[in-house]
Amino acid sequence: MSVRPSGQASVRRRIAVVLTLLILLLPFLWLLQMSFKTNDQILQFPPPLIFTPTLENYSALWHSAFSQSFVNSLLSASFSTLLALLFGVPGAYALSRWSGRGKGSLRFVILVTRMAPPIAFTIPFFLFYRWIGLLDTVTGLVLVYTSFNLPLVIWMMQPFFETVPASLEEAALVDGASARVIFTRIMLPMVTPGIAATAILCFLYAWNDFFFALILTRTAARTAPVAVVNFMNYEGWEWGKIAAGGSLVMAPVLVFSLAVRRYLVSGLTAGAVKG
Amino acid sequence: MIEAGRRSFNRIALAPSLVVLAAVAGLPALYLLVVSLTPFQLANPGSSSDFSAPLRNYALLPGDPRFINSLLVQARLSFWSVLLQVILGTGLALLLNVKSRMVEFARTFFLIPMVLPPIEVAVIWKLVYTPDISPLYYAASLLHVTLPALTSDVSFALWSIIIADTWEWLPFTFLMVLAALQTIPDEYAGAAKVDGANPVQIFLYVTLPFITPILIVSAMFRLIDSVKAFPLIFLLTQGGPGDVTEVTNYYAYLLAFDNNEIGYSGAVTVVMLLLVSAVSLGVLWMGRRREALA
Repeated sequence: MSVRPSGQASVRRRIAVVLTLLILLLPFLWLLQMSFKTNDQILQFPPPLIFTPTLENYSALWHSAFSQSFVNSLLSASFSTLLALLFGVPGAYALSRWSGRGKGSLRFVILVTRMAPPIAFTIPFFLFYRWIGLLDTVTGLVLVYTSFNLPLVIWMMQPFFETVPASLEEAALVDGASARVIFTRIMLPMVTPGIAATAILCFLYAWNDFFFALILTRTAARTAPVAVVNFMNYEGWEWGKIAAGGSLVMAPVLVFSLAVRRYLVSGLTAGAVKG
Repeated sequence: MIEAGRRSFNRIALAPSLVVLAAVAGLPALYLLVVSLTPFQLANPGSSSDFSAPLRNYALLPGDPRFINSLLVQARLSFWSVLLQVILGTGLALLLNVKSRMVEFARTFFLIPMVLPPIEVAVIWKLVYTPDISPLYYAASLLHVTLPALTSDVSFALWSIIIADTWEWLPFTFLMVLAALQTIPDEYAGAAKVDGANPVQIFLYVTLPFITPILIVSAMFRLIDSVKAFPLIFLLTQGGPGDVTEVTNYYAYLLAFDNNEIGYSGAVTVVMLLLVSAVSLGVLWMGRRREALA
């Protein structure tokens, strides 16, 4: 095995890369092709290499309660992202210009809220929602998702603000601009790409959630990931529907996350390593 | 004057975030702690404010065989999956660390398992482990091998989780190590080569020392996150057979939402949180040391 960092890729290495990729993605591709098969074809072995793809699984989903849970997922992920950005972006700007004490402990708090197992928040949220009647509502989900998206925004946006040259702000200050104007007119336009990347990550984290939705919703606010699992428990192993529902839940994730792959790591390691 | 205006703007910009953070993260954490001091059961509402024996739940923990077992299962699961992820992730990073359009294009697709919703990963592996429809069982039958029911076999159940978890998070260690590999100056390996070092020696004496810090950091991250392997266990084994795959997180979930033992589950969760915080502090401390060294 060569460790030359910049060696040219040999043919053997290219073949090894493609083979590894195929083996690694086989389980994923298997689920994808299943979503285009009828239940009979799914159970058929050896698997037919050539088959007429059918969309019946997808159209069955469209006409079932699944479409409502898809909408619930969209709503709760979008609103929690908006809420987290609304509060988190100004907060991150202030923190990036903060020279006072307390920054280190805030960093630790943010890290712990990101690292805590979801059950730590589920028990108190469940009890509180049961008391004030927010169980099984999209509003309830939005609030919970904000508990992990807000720390993410504060963490991810700081480095973006830090890269804006201080001279820009100083020039505006000399011209008599107020801090508020500097923030809205100068800083925000400069960090738009950062906001976009952060928004996508927030959306994905909320979209990917299973645990909170499992505990805090029943039927009315059920999200798509929970609905897919329900096809397993109650409707007797309809693999076609499971595969189609799964593919629908995965689709936005694949598109968005490949768009922000540069920031995936800083999102995952939020709080512990610098940007 | 300008400085004062700026400072007050900073305060106004930061305050709402801190208030919201305190409300959606601070208060729940505090409430969890309070609940863990009571014998609260959902069926018995009065028990939520019974503080007569606040440390009773914690005193019960060391004598609870399921709790002790769950810690051991978690330790086993974390150890093997983190180890496999670091080793395989490093291997993958070495394989893909070349300047080639095609390989750079392929890198993106290696990330897919990590970005999938965790519950979809569980669905995918449920499919692999279900004999009727699994390509794995079909392949085994072609080779005349009879596979046991992997997720319900006492000796394979935990490994079925470890394999799925490794598949899901391998891309993470791969990404981290690849980023580290790309910062190694070409001249290092070149110089070693001139001195007659073979590829294995170059890896052991040039590459490995360079990437060790990032290997440790990624291992710590995976260690912290391995506590969250809930969807896999929920869908594949439900903690079984027996309690072979019942990790602490899953035990706390069963206690709270199956047995309605909210107070006791709270205590289990608080202990788990303390362990996670300890590891997080370790990561922070190492990060600071690295910054100081750099």
